[in-house]
Amino acid sequence: MPTPPIVKAPPAPAAESPSAIQVLGVGLDGGLAHSIRPWMSELHAHIEFVPDLPHAVRRLAAGHWDVVLTVLGEHPDEDLHWWSNALRGRTGAPRLIAFAHRPSMGLALRAEQLGAQDLLALPVRREELLRSLRRVGRGTSEVAVPLEATAEEDVGRYALVGQSPAMLEVYKLIARVAPSTATVLIQGESGTGKEVVARAIHANGPKASGPFVALNCAAIPENLLESELFGHEKGAFSGAVTRKIGRFELARGGTLFLDEIADMSLPLQAKILRAVQEREIERVGGGDPIPIDVRLIAASNRELREAIAQGRFREDLYYRLAVVIVRLPRLADRGGDLALLAAYFARQFGAQYGKHITGFSDRALELLSAHRWVGNVRELRNAIEQAVIVANGDTVLVEHLADEIRGHEGSLSGTMSGELATLAEAEARHIARVLAHTGGQIGSAATILGIHRNTLTRKIREYGL
Amino acid sequence: MTAPKGRDGTPALRVERALRLLPDLEALTPLRALLVAISRADAGAQWASSGPYLTMGKRGVDPGELRRRLDETLEQITEHLSLLYHAYVDALEALSAGDPAPAVAALVRAGHAEEGPGRLSQAREWYEVALKLADELQDRRPEIAILGALGRLARTQGHFQQGARYFQRCLALAEAEFDQSGVAEACAGLGSLAAAQGQWGGARAWYRKGLTAAQAGRDLKKIGHLYHRLASVDYHDGDTAAALEHLQEARRSVESIQDAEGLARVLAAQGDVESDQGQADAAALSYREGLAWARRAAAPEVECAILIRLAVFHLTGDRFHEAEEELRRAEQTAIAHTLSRRLVQVYTLMGKLRGRQKDETGFVFFEQAIELCRGAERAPSAEGRLYHEYGNFRSMLGSPDEARAYLEKARAIFESLGETGELEGVEADLERIAG
Repeated sequence: MPTPPIVKAPPAPAAESPSAIQVLGVGLDGGLAHSIRPWMSELHAHIEFVPDLPHAVRRLAAGHWDVVLTVLGEHPDEDLHWWSNALRGRTGAPRLIAFAHRPSMGLALRAEQLGAQDLLALPVRREELLRSLRRVGRGTSEVAVPLEATAEEDVGRYALVGQSPAMLEVYKLIARVAPSTATVLIQGESGTGKEVVARAIHANGPKASGPFVALNCAAIPENLLESELFGHEKGAFSGAVTRKIGRFELARGGTLFLDEIADMSLPLQAKILRAVQEREIERVGGGDPIPIDVRLIAASNRELREAIAQGRFREDLYYRLAVVIVRLPRLADRGGDLALLAAYFARQFGAQYGKHITGFSDRALELLSAHRWVGNVRELRNAIEQAVIVANGDTVLVEHLADEIRGHEGSLSGTMSGELATLAEAEARHIARVLAHTGGQIGSAATILGIHRNTLTRKIREYGL
Repeated sequence: MTAPKGRDGTPALRVERALRLLPDLEALTPLRALLVAISRADAGAQWASSGPYLTMGKRGVDPGELRRRLDETLEQITEHLSLLYHAYVDALEALSAGDPAPAVAALVRAGHAEEGPGRLSQAREWYEVALKLADELQDRRPEIAILGALGRLARTQGHFQQGARYFQRCLALAEAEFDQSGVAEACAGLGSLAAAQGQWGGARAWYRKGLTAAQAGRDLKKIGHLYHRLASVDYHDGDTAAALEHLQEARRSVESIQDAEGLARVLAAQGDVESDQGQADAAALSYREGLAWARRAAAPEVECAILIRLAVFHLTGDRFHEAEEELRRAEQTAIAHTLSRRLVQVYTLMGKLRGRQKDETGFVFFEQAIELCRGAERAPSAEGRLYHEYGNFRSMLGSPDEARAYLEKARAIFESLGETGELEGVEADLERIAG
């Protein structure tokens, strides 16, 4: 189709200034574009308009943009996701200011989660848009802070990094338990490093010369888990194309690490219990018992005692596994370890991607410290990897961080920019926060909030959460 | 809102378990699709150690949401059945009035209605009934269109010989009737069958003939499509300059008729060529622009296909992180829009990616893809590629016996299809293992 011309705003005097905010308006109708254009001049911003997404993609690739202004369509959620993906890693790390017809509180919260700079209701009010654009804060100086020196305990290709009191307790426990062959249960939230600890116990234990074999019970399809653990004979079932040696056998003379063990079905738990008690297994479709000689380490991100109370985990197996329990702290409880870990990952990924990262900016470190790391160290590792990939110098700056982390620097709908929120806004935000904390469990969230489950369900609907 | 959770904080019911409760009955297919479409990853799954291995089967299902969405689905089923029933009655009325032409049109309408949501075997049944009736018409154009549709279906379902017969009949009839559009359609179909069987020279000849017919008929959509297909032959032959030229022609045609979906496809192909030329930035931009056009055309199938190509582009450049991100987006699109064949491709590539990372747990993706192949409409080419990649995965991780077993399965599938190009690849990998 004929390419609609890119509509350029009349050159504003300040547009020549290198510090002028570069704004790309996408799919804004003529009336809206006409209204916005003079406002941009007031801000000394330079704006260009393109008719639709495809043209926006070309323009975004062609230069440096600070802000994208767009109108969300019939599926605003999907549009937000699309923009979040489209702007990731773009030059200048442009922020999204989206306009929506009657935006719900739920949409505003999702925009915040996705790291949008702002979500504004249509018709656009001049003051709201200008306030939002001023918050983009282009040109705010960032001061490079050198990477902290990290002393890590090597565990194969993994490492234990951290000097917080909580981690020191973990190190002491590892040192006490590793020399024995006792079965160990490691508990901790997702991403706290359970496998690294398991490897450390193995590496410092009597079976260190043997293999370390890990199996993630939650990852394997239920119908294949038994054969993964115990192996199978050829033809035992339709997919058994050859004889297979299971993880128990592969770990002979070493350590078998069973991660996310709470995800195992009750019948399989019974088989594991038998293997632990009898020290022998049988392959699926095989008749002969096979002796096993392994140290077992299990891990779970769920509270196994709760699972026992709910009848989803065998109590006798729990006591077999929990001879020693190692509890891992959340990243939020590890204080200064965050900066150490960030430095460690920056070096690691710098080496991997051929970049020499020497520091983080002060503002980037602030944002990292302010983020709620629900995925703990794993989430931090992921965030630093992304930042290193997009970094183009030796310092990780705010613009290199993912929008989800940068979301804290801006804020949405004025409510975090000093203006007082309405009671409904505050309530919706708090409910969203509690739901995030409980992983979406309405019952637990209702208990924390001190309201009835039905009331919470009604409010969730009302606020569009 | 949030990911589903069971009552009292118990973990969500998994799709793999939910599907086991569902008997394998044709009448329940929409319910199965709905169940998968509403499934979500657990709130904590993203950061759990099992997160990198999350597949459709491990997503959670909320029975409450399923119940809430039932009425909507039942309405869609009623609407669909109503369309089919009315089409039949329309056909019957026309026939009893002695006018077979509207009867044929009604039956074809029913076939289209089945083809839309991917019920290919059912669509074929309608078209075949329509074809018999069309034989009685003086106007041969409906017959030409039906033969083209049947050829296309047979091609998609991997029945290449049958597809070739339909397209040949279509071509003969269209030429006899001076129906340039029909000639172009038949030639495009015959070209695609030749390409699938590794006969690239034949494919080029068919596409050229089709292009001439399309140009004579001034059918811009087909002109764009055929230039695009010619570019695919150039690309296979390693002539990237010619491929880009043909893609420019294709782009001009689809742009002139404002075919956003066609433009998305052309840009994706352009991305492939640019990637091959080592122009990574240009390729990434073409894919991204293609994605934007697909979104504008509201074409999730095309969007998913481009995301998959983008992932392959990153995988080829060893950018595993980016490849995984694109595959996860493709997975989400495929699940939300019930694109089972695309989901098989996504999981095959996820498995390949894990293999490149020497991660043996990656086998879960191949197993999920195999499971999907059992349930979905038959897509033997995708199944063959799945076993081929599974074999390579096992080989890479040091299990030659398993590798050989999967590669032999792939070889059997490609042999039965006559896909010589794919077959050669499998045989080379089998030889490598033997050596």
